[in-house]
Amino acid sequence: MFSHNRRKLLQASGALAAAGSVPLLARAQVAAPRVVVIGGGFAGATLAKYVRMWNPKIQVTLIEPNPSHVSCILSNLVMTGALGMNAITLRYDTLRSKYGVSLVADRAVGIDAVNRIVTTQNGSRIPYDKLVLAPGIDFDAVPGLDTAVLPHAWQAGPQTLALKGQLDAVPAGGTFVMSIPPAPYRCPPGPYERACLLADSLLRRRRAGRVIVLDANNDVVAEPHTFHTAFRTTYASVIEYRPNSVVSSVDWANKTIHTNWGPIRADGANIIPPQKAGKLVVAAGLLGTNPATRWAPVNPLSYESTVVPHIHVIGDSQGTGQPKSGHMANSQAKVCADALIRYFAGEAPDPAPMTSSACYSPITSKTASWLTVVFGYDAATGLMKPVPNTLAEAPAPSGDHYEDMFGWANNLFADSFS
Amino acid sequence: MKQIRKYLSGASALALLMATAAAHGAPPAGRLLASQCAQCHGTNGQAVSGMEKLAGESEGEIYKELIEMKARIKPDEIMHRQAAGYTDAQIRLIARYFATSGKVSTTTSTTPTTGTASRNKSRGDD
Ligand SMILES: Cc1cc2nc3c(=O)[nH]c(=O)nc-3n(C[C@H](O)[C@H](O)[C@H](O)COP(=O)(O)OP(=O)(O)OC[C@H]3O[C@@H](n4cnc5c(N)ncnc54)[C@H](O)[C@@H]3O)c2cc1C
Repeated sequence: MFSHNRRKLLQASGALAAAGSVPLLARAQVAAPRVVVIGGGFAGATLAKYVRMWNPKIQVTLIEPNPSHVSCILSNLVMTGALGMNAITLRYDTLRSKYGVSLVADRAVGIDAVNRIVTTQNGSRIPYDKLVLAPGIDFDAVPGLDTAVLPHAWQAGPQTLALKGQLDAVPAGGTFVMSIPPAPYRCPPGPYERACLLADSLLRRRRAGRVIVLDANNDVVAEPHTFHTAFRTTYASVIEYRPNSVVSSVDWANKTIHTNWGPIRADGANIIPPQKAGKLVVAAGLLGTNPATRWAPVNPLSYESTVVPHIHVIGDSQGTGQPKSGHMANSQAKVCADALIRYFAGEAPDPAPMTSSACYSPITSKTASWLTVVFGYDAATGLMKPVPNTLAEAPAPSGDHYEDMFGWANNLFADSFS
Repeated sequence: MKQIRKYLSGASALALLMATAAAHGAPPAGRLLASQCAQCHGTNGQAVSGMEKLAGESEGEIYKELIEMKARIKPDEIMHRQAAGYTDAQIRLIARYFATSGKVSTTTSTTPTTGTASRNKSRGDD
C-alpha cells in the first residue's frame, strides 16, 4: 500500500513537473524507493549490485552477518589443498564503494510483512518497500550427526577446512563414507564432484582405501555419463557407488554410519543432509500451508512470493525447479532486479525472462567437466522450462575445461560481488 | 533551490525530465537478456579474465557468431549450448545491446570494470 502510494506520488509529481507548475523539488522530497536484501551470497550480492548499477535512484540495503562470502564454488579444491581459502573468499567492499549498497553486518531474525519491516539480531528495524530474501539453504537434522565433528561443508567456510582435516586424517587403506541427499539439493553435480576429488586425493597420496558413496537418489542426479565413467574407470579401484542408500543415523563415537542397508564402519565421513529453503523463508511463512513444500513458491517473472506480497525469493531458497547453482542464483537476481526497477516505475515485469546455469566440476586434479542449461519462461504454464538442446554435459573431462573453469569462476565471482 | 528552478526552465527542464523518465521508465531493450552473458563474459561484457570480452564488439559480429554456434552445435563447446537457448530475435537484441552500450551512456553511475581478456579464445570454428 505504502509503496503503491509512493509510486503514484512519484508519477503524479512527475506529471505535474512536466506541466511546469511544480518544481522538481516535490519529486526529490519523496524518499527513494527502498529495497532490502537478506543474504549476500551469489543471489543477494548480484541483486544488490544490479539494482544499484541499473538504477542508482533506488536505495539498497544488504543485511549479511559475515564480513565476506566464502564461495562453495571451487571449495572442493580447497578440500584437496589445490586452492587456499583466499581463492574462494569474496569481499563485500565493492558493493558499497562502487555501487553504493548500504551494508548492515547483522543477521535478519524477523519480518513484519504487514508493516514491511525487517528486524535484526542486534535489534535494528529496517523498513522496506520491496524485500528480497536470498538466505541460501537450511538442512534437515540427521539423527546423531554433529556437524561440528563431521562437517557437511555444503556451506563453505570453516567447515571446508574441517572437511579437509577429515580427509587428511584418513589412514592408509581406510574407508571414507560420503552421502548424497535426495534431489533437489544445492548444486546437482557437486556431491559426485566431491566423491571424485576425495578419491583422487587419496590415490595421489597413495593412501587409497575405499570411498563409499551413499546416494539417496536412484541414480546419479547430474552428468550421469561423466560420473558413471569416472566411477567405473578412473576411480574403479576406490569408489563404490551405492544408489538408493539413505543415511538413517550416525554413531560417530563408534565410527558407524547407519543406513537402510545396514551399518557401515568408516574412518572418515562426509554426510550431506537433506536440504530446504533458508530458515527465514520458512519462518516468514513463505512455503505456504502444505507441509511437504521445501522451497518457496514464486512467480518466475519477478521472483515475488506467491504467498506473501512484496517479498521476493531468489537463489537456492526459491522453488521454480531451476537448478540450485551460483550461476543460476546470479541469473535469477538479474531478472528480479529488472522486475523491481520496472515495479518502481509502475511497469509490469519483462514477460519473457531467460536464465541459465553452468557448473564446472573438477574430475581429477587436472581435468574438469561442465554441465549447462538455458531456461525460458513458458507463458502457457507460467513456468521456467529448459530450452530444447541446451541441457548438456561435456562429452569428456579435459584439461581445457579445467582451465576454463577458472575463467568462468573469476567472471562469475566478479559479476556477482564486484 | 533557485538554481534548480532556473535550470528547470526551457530546454534544460525538458532534458532533465527526459532523463528522469529514462531513469524511472522501461529498461533499455536487450539489457536484461545481455546481462545473462555476464556470468562468463563480465559485467557489461567487460570480462575480467580468461573469457572473451563482448563490450564494443560489433552487432554483426556477435550476431553472426551466435547464430552460427546454434546452427552447428559442437558437443564439446559449452557456448554452443548457451547460444541454442535464444531465438534469433533475442540474439539480435543482445548483439545490439553490447555493440551500443559501450558507446551510449546508460543510467549507470559506475565505470566499467577494468580488466584484460587474457585469452581471446574463439569458440566458433576452430
Ligand atoms: C561443493 C559445491 C560446489 C558447487 N559448485 C558450483 C558450480 O560449479 N557452479 C555453480 O553455479 N554453483 C555451484 N555450487 C552451488 C552454489 O554454491 C549455490 O547454488 C549458491 O551459493 C547459491 O547462492 P545463494 O545466494 O542462494 O545462497 P548462499 O550462497 O548460501 O548465500 C546465502 C547468504 O545468506 C546469508 N544469510 C543466511 N541467512 C541469513 C539471515 N537470516 N540474515 C542475513 N543473512 C543471512 C548467508 O550468510 C549467506 O552469505 C556449488 C555448491 C557446493 C556445495
